[in-house]
Amino acid sequence: MDRDNGTYKVVWPLGRSTETAIALNARFANNKAKRIGFLWDYIFRGDQMFPLIQAGLAEKFPGSTFVPHTAFGNIHGHDEREVLADLPRRLREEKLDAVIVGVGA
Amino acid sequence: MLRATKIAETAGVPGVALISTGFMQQARATARAMGIPDASIAEYPGMIPMDTDDQLADKIWNKVLPSVVSSLSTDVPSTVKHVQEPAPRDIVFSGTLAEVQQHFLDKEWSDGLPVVPPTLDLVDAFLAWTDRDPQELLGVLPPEFREATAWSVAVNGVMAGCRPEYMPVLLAVVEAIADPDFRLVDAGSTPGWEYLILVSGDIVAALDFNTEAGNMKMGRQANASIGRFLRMFVRNVAGFRPGGTDKGSIGFTFNVALAENEGAIEKLGWAPVREDLGFKREDNMVMVQSVIALSMPIYNGGTDPETLAWPLVRFMEGTAGPYAFTALVFSRWHPLIVMSPSVAEAFASHGWGKREIRKYLFDNCKIDARSMEHYQMHVAGKEVPLAELVRRGSAPALYAESNDPKRMLPMLLREEWTTIVIAGDPGRNQSRIYINNHDQGPSVSKRIGLPRDWRARIAALRGSKKS
Repeated sequence: MDRDNGTYKVVWPLGRSTETAIALNARFANNKAKRIGFLWDYIFRGDQMFPLIQAGLAEKFPGSTFVPHTAFGNIHGHDEREVLADLPRRLREEKLDAVIVGVGA
Repeated sequence: MLRATKIAETAGVPGVALISTGFMQQARATARAMGIPDASIAEYPGMIPMDTDDQLADKIWNKVLPSVVSSLSTDVPSTVKHVQEPAPRDIVFSGTLAEVQQHFLDKEWSDGLPVVPPTLDLVDAFLAWTDRDPQELLGVLPPEFREATAWSVAVNGVMAGCRPEYMPVLLAVVEAIADPDFRLVDAGSTPGWEYLILVSGDIVAALDFNTEAGNMKMGRQANASIGRFLRMFVRNVAGFRPGGTDKGSIGFTFNVALAENEGAIEKLGWAPVREDLGFKREDNMVMVQSVIALSMPIYNGGTDPETLAWPLVRFMEGTAGPYAFTALVFSRWHPLIVMSPSVAEAFASHGWGKREIRKYLFDNCKIDARSMEHYQMHVAGKEVPLAELVRRGSAPALYAESNDPKRMLPMLLREEWTTIVIAGDPGRNQSRIYINNHDQGPSVSKRIGLPRDWRARIAALRGSKKS
């Protein structure tokens, strides 16, 4: 404090950000067949939603193939850390064009 | 969702997150905090647990699917930009006390109460109570992934109204929440959990914590300001702010630190919590865990140990209720009992210690299978059989040994996960139970590191206070 004129000179209460912001990858350029995966937190009815979304995507992108959520494990379960740590490898292994991630609720 | 989405995008795979309407604001705030400001999000209109199967199908087909297709087919111009942030010793604002308060409110750097302005001289006074370098990294905290350093601990300690000599405790508290096992990343979840800090060791007396009557009320500087500090720190350094990244639906007020009554423990001949957790008697320790529920005051009467323990069982069952299913989903659960010295003395007079009390609770706290299976529908829209949780590997096999929905099952996963803390009014036979939120904020403990000249300086402080 500057005690002569009653003003307080204060510092910043946050910490240095370490997060690297990223831009999104390019989206689909055409309606040709794609390979699309599903990731689920096993909580909010994703098992009901994903088959419907898959059917719609199969119509929109004919010939597409799909990788079910069971292929990746639970992204918000008791082994979440291991599942997420392994996710980049699994996504590359499956050669996916996109993933649908659910369900935030 | 956004964590997995960012992992996918970072791996080169376009991702679309499905988010229900009530979580859109949190999702956008979290996406910005996590460095994926343009994240593709498809909104599910309304609230998932309350929709019929037909309503869900209609919404997916007519609302969610078109948004998913659009998100996958349309390139998004990047809004990523680099922002220059202040260095630690930079002065970011100058003004009168009232102007500083308003500035901190405007910037969302305050918990809503007036703060002590963090001036350089006050921050330096806190740093003088640690041998650590001000820029020593204690951890990187989600969701904003900012660095927690001794410096940022000192700044927020000043703001919360702590005394400089609390600094060793504040550092250990932050080390606890920065531990990956604590799962701070989920501190913005809808149960709205808060933080319970436990301090154990001779530092309790040195810093004048209240360990007796009204110990969990506001009123003693050490308990109140250290409790406040953690909420302030999580807000400013981790980045959890209600209405944004913090989605606590109603929330839980909890801002007073708990301290163990060392004198009562010694009189009982029991081990203090720090020894229960593997520390040495001469150590000082901080433990932090989440709290989502607090029991009624529990009066323990009777002339035999089973009768004394019976109310603990009933109130444990009642306070957690069918929410106990979450322990089976996430494989963790750490209840904590604050027990007044008089109750502990009564148990001890019958030859029971903490081990016997824990075992009695483990053996007797029960809940019916049907309640746990059914309650998941209320939380997430769908019942889940306990056998499914066993199949996933998150629940022990005994939960699937029968299909009888009326069968009574253990509520606690492990005896040793119940912490018993001796504190509270020695003149009344009362206990209370604190329920944590499964694997979000399990009990994490850290040794408190003291500066080299700690004892001499504390003695000098005591002397100056008396004179």
